[in-house]
Amino acid sequence: MNAVQRFIRSKVLLLTAAILIAAMCLSVLVQGQSQAALNRTVDENSRGLYDVLVQSKAGSGALMQPEIANGGGGISFEQLESIRDLSGTSVAAPISLVSRVTQNLEAPRLDAMDYLGYNAGLAGTATADQAAGATAPNQWPAAESVLSDTAKKYRLTASAVSSDGVSERTLFKSTAEGTLGKAKLVEERAAGGSSIRIAAPEGETGIKFPDPAGGSEHNLFNLSVSLPLSPEVTESVVAVDPVAERALLGSAGDFLAPLEKAPPADARNAGAIGRHFESLFTNGISMDELAEGPDFLGVKLKYWAPLMTQYQQAKRNGQLTADSQAIPLIVRSGTSLDLKYNVKIEEIDGSGKVVNEVGTASRSLDKDYLPFVSKDPFALSWPGSTDHSSLLGSQGNFNQGLYTPATWSTDFAAAPKYTDGGTAANGAVEKTAVPGEWVTVNRLPEKTPSGGPVDQTQREPVDERSYRENLDTGEKLAAPLAMVYGTFDPSAVAEAAGDVNRLPLGGYDPTPFTLSKDAEGKDVTATELKPSLSATGLASQSAGAITDYYGLAAARGYKDNAPVIDAVRVRAKAPGSWKQAQPDVEQLASEIREMGLEATVVAGSAREDASIFVPGYSKDGAGKESALGTVQQSWVRQNAADAVTGSLTGTNVTLLFLTLCGAALLTGASTVSYIRKRRTEAGTLRAMGWTQRRIRSWVLEEFGVGAALLAVAGIVLSVASWSLTTVIVSASVLALYAAAAFFAAQQLRHRDEVDQEPQHDERLIPVDSPLTFANRQLSTNKFNTLSLAVAVGVFGAAVGGLIALLIDIPRAAGASALSGLAAASVALPSILLALSGVIVGLVLTLVTGRFELNAKRQYLGILEAMGWNPDMLRQVRLFENALVGTVALPLGVLGALGIGLLLAPYAALWAGVAGLVAVLCWIPIATKVVQ
Amino acid sequence: MTNETNVHRSRRSGSVEAPLQTRANTIVKAEDHGTPLELSDITIRYGGGKSGAEAVSVVEGFDLTLHAGEMHCVAGRSGSGKTSILTVGAGLTLPTSGRVFWEGDSLESMGDDEIADRRRALIGYVDQGGALIDGMSALENVLLPAVPDGEVEQRRDMAKDLLDLVGLGRRMRHRPAQLSGGERQRVAIARALILGTRVLVVDEPTASLDRASANRIISILKDTTNDGIAVLVASHDHELVRLSDTLTELI
Repeated sequence: MNAVQRFIRSKVLLLTAAILIAAMCLSVLVQGQSQAALNRTVDENSRGLYDVLVQSKAGSGALMQPEIANGGGGISFEQLESIRDLSGTSVAAPISLVSRVTQNLEAPRLDAMDYLGYNAGLAGTATADQAAGATAPNQWPAAESVLSDTAKKYRLTASAVSSDGVSERTLFKSTAEGTLGKAKLVEERAAGGSSIRIAAPEGETGIKFPDPAGGSEHNLFNLSVSLPLSPEVTESVVAVDPVAERALLGSAGDFLAPLEKAPPADARNAGAIGRHFESLFTNGISMDELAEGPDFLGVKLKYWAPLMTQYQQAKRNGQLTADSQAIPLIVRSGTSLDLKYNVKIEEIDGSGKVVNEVGTASRSLDKDYLPFVSKDPFALSWPGSTDHSSLLGSQGNFNQGLYTPATWSTDFAAAPKYTDGGTAANGAVEKTAVPGEWVTVNRLPEKTPSGGPVDQTQREPVDERSYRENLDTGEKLAAPLAMVYGTFDPSAVAEAAGDVNRLPLGGYDPTPFTLSKDAEGKDVTATELKPSLSATGLASQSAGAITDYYGLAAARGYKDNAPVIDAVRVRAKAPGSWKQAQPDVEQLASEIREMGLEATVVAGSAREDASIFVPGYSKDGAGKESALGTVQQSWVRQNAADAVTGSLTGTNVTLLFLTLCGAALLTGASTVSYIRKRRTEAGTLRAMGWTQRRIRSWVLEEFGVGAALLAVAGIVLSVASWSLTTVIVSASVLALYAAAAFFAAQQLRHRDEVDQEPQHDERLIPVDSPLTFANRQLSTNKFNTLSLAVAVGVFGAAVGGLIALLIDIPRAAGASALSGLAAASVALPSILLALSGVIVGLVLTLVTGRFELNAKRQYLGILEAMGWNPDMLRQVRLFENALVGTVALPLGVLGALGIGLLLAPYAALWAGVAGLVAVLCWIPIATKVVQ
Repeated sequence: MTNETNVHRSRRSGSVEAPLQTRANTIVKAEDHGTPLELSDITIRYGGGKSGAEAVSVVEGFDLTLHAGEMHCVAGRSGSGKTSILTVGAGLTLPTSGRVFWEGDSLESMGDDEIADRRRALIGYVDQGGALIDGMSALENVLLPAVPDGEVEQRRDMAKDLLDLVGLGRRMRHRPAQLSGGERQRVAIARALILGTRVLVVDEPTASLDRASANRIISILKDTTNDGIAVLVASHDHELVRLSDTLTELI
């Protein structure tokens, strides 16, 4: 029988070699794959839209506040140009907070269907123009109305409710009463013909809310009741360089293209532009042009109405001066502001008693809302009404415009302040928001459109907490004229910024807050906070408008070359992944720092949730302030990529090391098993005249076959993976195996056994039960017992390690979003590696458990022959395993704790518990399995 | 294995008087002197079944009635089924067919626990070579059968007497590794007698022993029959065959 045949016959050696090769393959492949996946994930997600964030002053540590456009300025245009001139710069996109703008929505109205049917005198002109989409006269439906022929008395209760996502607030509640009825057409003879007019029914008083609301009036389709004004809404405006911003955002920045055609600074005189549009309308403009928007220097100004409304009002009020500038704006479409307007309609009798609940009409400020523009009339519909006004076709409903021109202000323009708190085990940072002064919202305008006084008592102003500071910047200029060039969708901008490494793009891409704990610290259902009415609250919505830097100067009153740029986002020319570009990016940042600016390398960063405690958020009627609780907001973790890679690589290497330790133990156990099996054979050979040298060669030849297999596997794996780690692992395994071979050969030497008398130690516990019998067996075979206990302990420790890993991979990776992705990419390979450790531990228990299997079988047979019943034999096995488990317990628990501490300190305790449970579970399972 | 021819030879004369008392203080009452062990039409085959291997018939239609105080020897060449008959008789394995009666009760109607309990009370089994448990002294080995009933301390003196009886009174604290083959065999016999056994089932007690040691074992076995204990022994030792009361020779 040659060495190969003997090797195959020796199942223990074969099994050991197979397991070692499997461990090598698994550890090397898993390690390689895991590390490659980790590097790939980190690389792919570590370079965002820009590489370096330039600001005028130092940040506050490794966690970067997401709000970079804070109105603080600090960077001049010369510095911006210098950055652009650097050889490593690809894009340098400046951004600044321009202002906050307070504006009132158009006058809301309640439309009650009171359709009078087709009448040539009223609708003839419009319906003749079929191109405008009007319906042919013969297709108009019959008249219908929700009102009665005779006027009835109604009570209207108008209210507005706003919510920050946590609690609702009623902003006002106003009531008006009066009689309303169905209108009628009245034909009157006049000179040269007859005229048609719409008349109210007899006895109708109409309904009039307090000024500045108008009254009620009949038209061809509705009875319209003018409602109290909606609350004022505050928006912020940011300034960017349209060309650089488009280069930064890619196609997501195409909405800024019209801004590139806006007139230069010296061609933005508000009066001149207003007069240009006035003459345009005076000279006549077609309906098509009106709908598409009149041409202004190559841009179709679809939203021309606000400009004209503001121009005329400013001119009338004497606000328009030679310094007044028109500011081109791209405005946000829709709003995240939660504002709901309700009108409750009740029919009442003469004494004011309700005789019929007609219903409630509601409308929210939502996607139809455009800052600076009233896209659609803010009309609420009387229950049961049908809107027939479309019969006249599109009217281009921009003529109502804003109620009053927007009020531009630089108050509350700074970013919120936070103070640092503790840092959680996974690196998550705790902070506390610092509230500023209370600001008052929900006020009415000072004058009516006609310039009359407004009854201010109809509203109770609401105090909101400001989280932003006042900034005294620039000179106060004449009222700017908003000129709307287009719209943008903030969600498209957010999408372009990406998720994992979502970097602050500025005020038009704010990061939302999510409430996670209430004021008492109890967990609550995650609720996204809605922006405040005032735009100075904790959560702000995306900017209402974006302008260019000429607009910034015009709104803030800055002179030429003032350092008004808040931040510059710089993308380096260096191509490729984060790692490839890192040296060039660092070089670029260094050159920018030499200009005296703060340059933060944000390539390699990732978003990370900061827990922010919010005190003094609201106050009740008695003035008592209440905390909001804890909110989560994504900030930016600098150097997250390095941290994640380092931490998870450490986990991988530790796992590999532990697997090798398991393989070493397994090799040792297998070698012992081999020695025990071959000792008799060696004695026989010796009796046949074999020398010790010959016996050693005989043993080493067998091991040599296994070593050759391991070497071949190691070489193949090393060449295939081309990695130093693989070479080290393969060499380690081979060295282990060789050491085991020499140990085995050494142990098979002949030893004279001396019969030692006296024989029995009286200190031993007498055998009088299955427990004491089991104890005696284990104490007699100490080596076997200890080997098995070590194996069970290793198994317990491996299970503990696995549990620690499962619990702690996300924590080990850190708290950033990149950590989550990176951890997900290595979780499966790492778990496989840890699982292989558990399997090694299990095989180890099987190998060591077989050391004296024949002897065990024999004595169980003897006991059976003596009349020990099956239950007692089971007890013997159970007690044996329990005693082994007792010895293994500290090893398993301490081992699990140790591995836990190595892999995941945070989960070390759980690892210890898992080790304990694994060892305890092994006892009955081993008793059941090993019959 | 071929079918065996059972050659029965009887030297038994007269009935056993009662009561008797062994030198090991085992009381054998008169009413117990019936037929402690009876094998009826025993057939033992190995193999076959799911493995598909051809079944080997070891014993076919074997009958045996063992009376108290009688020594029955099952002789035959190696592999003829001697040990198989003994293990079936001791209730350690089940026959392929046929019935085993202990004191008139069939093992078929007993569960594992009952068989174990009855075996402890009735049968002392001595394995070939006198298998002892390592790590335990000769005395402890002898006392092992008393563990299930919790009678270790009560039986300690009796165990010492039994070891004296088999000539190992001075070696009772020795462990199996320090005993010779014959000594281990004698310890095993003492262990088989500790619970007042009525049937001693002994497998090849003199194999690989020198003549003097073998004779000593034979003498002990013969003495036990004088105490009313039935002995079923498998052996091809001529002296043992000669001294046994009845003989079955397997071919």
